Amino acid sequence: MDNDMDSMLETYLFEANSLMDQLDEILLEAEKSKRFTVDDVNEIFRIMHTIKGSSAMMEFDSLMTTAHKIEDLFFLIRDRGVEYFDEKCDEKLHHGMFDMLFTVIDFMRSEIEKVENNEPLTENIDSYTEKISNYVMKIKAAFGEAAEDAEQAPEPVAVAAPETAFPDDSPFFLQIRFEEGIGMENLRAFMVVNTLQEEGLSFKFYPEDVEANPDSCAVIIENGLFLSFTHKAEAEKAASLIDNMGSITSCELLENHVKKEEPKEDTAVKQQQNAPEKKTGAAANPSHHGEKPKQSLISVNLTKLDNLMAIVGEIVITESMVTSSPDIQGLKLDNFTKSARQLRKLTDELQDIAMSIRMVPIAGVFNKMNRIVRDMGQKLGKDVELKVVGEETEVDKAIVDGIGDPIMHIVRNSMDHGIEETADERIAAGKSPKGHITLSAEHTGSDIIIAIEDDGQGVNLDAVLNKAAKNGVLTKPESEYSKREILNLLMAPGFSTNEEVTEYSGRGVGMDVVKKNVEKVGGIVTITSEEGKGMKTTLKIPLTMAIVDGMEIAVGDSIFTIPITNIRQSFKASAADIISDASNGEVIKRMNEFYPIFRLHELYNIPTKITNIEDGILIWVEASDKSYCLFVDELLGEQQVVVKPLPTYLNSYNIKDSGIAGCTILGNGNISIILDILNLYLMAQNY
Amino acid sequence: MAMEENTPVEVLTDPAHKEVSDELAQKYLMFLSDGLDFGVKASYVVEIITNHTITTLPMTPDFIKGIINLRGQIIPIIDIRTKMGKMEGETTNYSCIIVFDIHSIMLGVYVDTVSQVVDIDESKISPPSPHNRQELVNGMVSMPDGKTILILDCEKLVDSEASMMM
Repeated sequence: MDNDMDSMLETYLFEANSLMDQLDEILLEAEKSKRFTVDDVNEIFRIMHTIKGSSAMMEFDSLMTTAHKIEDLFFLIRDRGVEYFDEKCDEKLHHGMFDMLFTVIDFMRSEIEKVENNEPLTENIDSYTEKISNYVMKIKAAFGEAAEDAEQAPEPVAVAAPETAFPDDSPFFLQIRFEEGIGMENLRAFMVVNTLQEEGLSFKFYPEDVEANPDSCAVIIENGLFLSFTHKAEAEKAASLIDNMGSITSCELLENHVKKEEPKEDTAVKQQQNAPEKKTGAAANPSHHGEKPKQSLISVNLTKLDNLMAIVGEIVITESMVTSSPDIQGLKLDNFTKSARQLRKLTDELQDIAMSIRMVPIAGVFNKMNRIVRDMGQKLGKDVELKVVGEETEVDKAIVDGIGDPIMHIVRNSMDHGIEETADERIAAGKSPKGHITLSAEHTGSDIIIAIEDDGQGVNLDAVLNKAAKNGVLTKPESEYSKREILNLLMAPGFSTNEEVTEYSGRGVGMDVVKKNVEKVGGIVTITSEEGKGMKTTLKIPLTMAIVDGMEIAVGDSIFTIPITNIRQSFKASAADIISDASNGEVIKRMNEFYPIFRLHELYNIPTKITNIEDGILIWVEASDKSYCLFVDELLGEQQVVVKPLPTYLNSYNIKDSGIAGCTILGNGNISIILDILNLYLMAQNY
Repeated sequence: MAMEENTPVEVLTDPAHKEVSDELAQKYLMFLSDGLDFGVKASYVVEIITNHTITTLPMTPDFIKGIINLRGQIIPIIDIRTKMGKMEGETTNYSCIIVFDIHSIMLGVYVDTVSQVVDIDESKISPPSPHNRQELVNGMVSMPDGKTILILDCEKLVDSEASMMM
């Protein structure tokens, strides 16, 4: 029972959260274009209806009531006609409406979060419901005046016959009714429309969203399907075609008399107006299909996917255990080799599929930024446009969860510090008054590159240096810093270029946290900037952390794995190449730069016979901005390994800080420890 | 994987304890570490393994012997001797790992040897003597043959780590 409840709650949260995201998107789009489309309103109505229903079922009263109120509001808009509403609403009213809706949505989100955290919900929600009610009054007032106007000059909307409300003002209509209780009315309607369109007839149909919106069923049952024609001949032809189709009870040809009574020229004008409208309607429809393809999705608990991934990893290991078993070494087994090859192919495929299941588009993270740019833009009085490129790029779910906050932080930084304070400043700098922030994502081989770019004032290198000096972040004389190093200072712990702490950025968490979070998912952050032109932050993140290409190395009896991406080169060195520095450390010169040498057996205290630099091998490794050489006994070879986390029991011993990223199981069942090149460096520094 | 052939003493139920068949009697696994007899609730024990390659982990406290791969699961191994502040013992043919599942935390404990499974009436367990308090022992019980068994506190085994973290 408890389990049932849990999974229901989980489903509810998943649904509510994704609906809220959807709602945000629609509202932002609508706000940008300054009007609602019929689809928007229907969609919002549907979302609120769903939330109302499921909240009522789960007994989350505050959510139910708020959703109900918003539903009422949009019912009103839908009832009076969306275009009519757009027409009647002045800008102020419109603007207020969006602000009000966003506040209410934020409130709903916070309530959903409370549900998630098992906290009690807000009981007194009067302030929110009142806000919505007030707004409904305002709209009604706007409509009320409009209605009076309508009576004086006969407007088609107001005078339309009460029983049969014609959806537009074409002169001829076909009203089609399907057999009662036949089901799937919307799809049947769509088929009718399709057939007629194939016959080359031009017409409009209502409801317009029959294919995408199952809710339109109810409308069709109630009112029937309307087809509107401009010419009687076409309508009659359509009627004869429809008569031949099955499951249709009636097909009536109706004439819009209101139209006929009007002066002829007026009709002509109206028809002309209708013509282009028709075209756009037809053009909009196919694109509409492209935007919202029918998706057959299921939602799966993430732990199940993790388990699947673990099993697949297990299979990959077992497969190599079987095929490279010492028992069959040296034997010539043709059939076995053949089957083994087939097995390898299949396990590879299985691994690919299992990994692809965990991939989700990054759009979810990107779309949240729209809202941040909007809110901050309003608050700071900056006009900024957010451009999103490559939001369909797919990334591992764990990574998407990990980079949401860092991206948000960078976008906030750009809004707050990057984009100039006023439009005048921008114009003076020869830029367009509107600021631009571009979010982009793309795949490159095994990495995903996410870039956040703004065309703001860029980074003032001197200011950064001064600030760093003041905060004691500098490790060498100021004059020795290269541009790249100065930009890297931005990500040093305890650094923030802004003097005051503002509401959005600089709350004690700076770019260092961003860097840390990105590194947690195995990524790298780089900043490039040109003063006066803007700043670009690039996150380079491996596609998945579950499987890596690794180099197996041996030190004494232990085997370690170094991710191939961290290795620049491996080479033998002679004792003469090694230079001892003042603090008893060793350095070596490679490509005109000096790099420290760390001996792994010394760091980890592993007994080994190979201590002479000439007997072992040096591996030049690199992670983030750290580059150094590791001295090991020997290289064992390259292998694809499945990363397994160390037992959580060991977390209490700061295992992560000792340069160990995890472990993996080798073909012979032994464990190899995967090194974390960056943390190893930090550890060696403190050694 | 249960390695009965390696256990020197046959696993048998003490005849003197046959009468203790009421619900208070619980099965305990007895093992030996540094000459002391320990008992641990059998419900925590998953299996006993021997001859397993232990991969040592660098930079960890002495009592963490390392990790093992138990059919794809990575399990940490702690040495009960060093954990109790004693010298590391020699590895013998009898040395083995008892794998515990303590509230879904898998943990291997390296012991000198396991001996037998006995029924212990839990009401007979007395608290450990206050002047000889050992971190991981939460009770002792006298057996009919005169032996005293120390009861290992499994919860503490995983708990003490949590408290260390703070």
